[in-house]
Amino acid sequence: MGIVDFLNWLNDTTFAESIRDSVWLFPTFETIHVAAIVLVAGSIAGLDLRLAGLMARDRPVTEIANEMLPWTWAAFVVATIFGFLLFASKPMVYLAMAFFDAKLILIVLAGLNMLLFQQITWKSVGRWDRAVLPPVAVRLAAGLSLAFWISVVICGRFIGFV
Amino acid sequence: MLEQLTDWLSRSDASAFLSDTTLLQTWLIIPISQTIHILAVAVVMISIGVLNLRLLGVAASHQSFARLTRQLTPWIWSALAVLLLTGVVQTIAEPSRELLNSTFQLKIALLVVAVAVTISYRVTTTRNPNYWNVSPGRRRAGHILAGMSLVLWLGILSAGRLIAYFGAFEPKG
Repeated sequence: MGIVDFLNWLNDTTFAESIRDSVWLFPTFETIHVAAIVLVAGSIAGLDLRLAGLMARDRPVTEIANEMLPWTWAAFVVATIFGFLLFASKPMVYLAMAFFDAKLILIVLAGLNMLLFQQITWKSVGRWDRAVLPPVAVRLAAGLSLAFWISVVICGRFIGFV
Repeated sequence: MLEQLTDWLSRSDASAFLSDTTLLQTWLIIPISQTIHILAVAVVMISIGVLNLRLLGVAASHQSFARLTRQLTPWIWSALAVLLLTGVVQTIAEPSRELLNSTFQLKIALLVVAVAVTISYRVTTTRNPNYWNVSPGRRRAGHILAGMSLVLWLGILSAGRLIAYFGAFEPKG
């Protein structure tokens, strides 16, 4: 079974049909999705702005990370689950939207950026934890992360307009 | 009065300009304004979330509530200024969609209370950094206020998203 077969099957399930037909299911899922997305974007921005040396310069990076990352992960799980429910209502329609595809690609890029940062750059955090201005590699990762997530929000909002 | 304001705004040149969807430049204004609106909501929600969970005593315990309030309230006010600006743009573009919508009206009512609660955090902790910690009674009051604030802001966000679906004004007759 290919991806298109799967999406057509998903589209025809009574589950997808009930989301399409209900007056309140889609708006409810969308509201939860948006609430989760803003917490993902907000918590990531909180950490990125510190990593970029633009905010809370007097506080250790690890402290901000501990404060923000639980929000990021919890909210990301919720955003993904409810995003999938929204997608399930009309899978082929969403897949055909450039903004939807771009949003998924940007999330993958943001994830790769985070993975590289975590596996390589973060190893030396002990040396720049209290630095007012962290090293350039750290600031670069933070800038990329901010750019990716802002773009995710832009694409997400434009899905509703095209 | 709200009807008159809506009526006046709908007839304005500004509204005609912002709601002109025949040109790409003007069509882009609303989705871009909404995107900026959502990014500002992100700043408010994470700040409010951290602040209230600290007041509830479940997060960020290495920082005092007073210090967190001092650090986060400027972000909240700046983001609220952006929200007001983009919100006004969206309202001028589609006055009756917003002003006469009961979900929008609920959102604004909740917002007034939520902002008052946020101001009270700043005022009380400026007067006494330990204000919410001086007695068991005060602590309990803080917990109730924090829970209320979280519910209020989630309500504001939800109402904001649901304006597009519910509460539209339907002219009689």
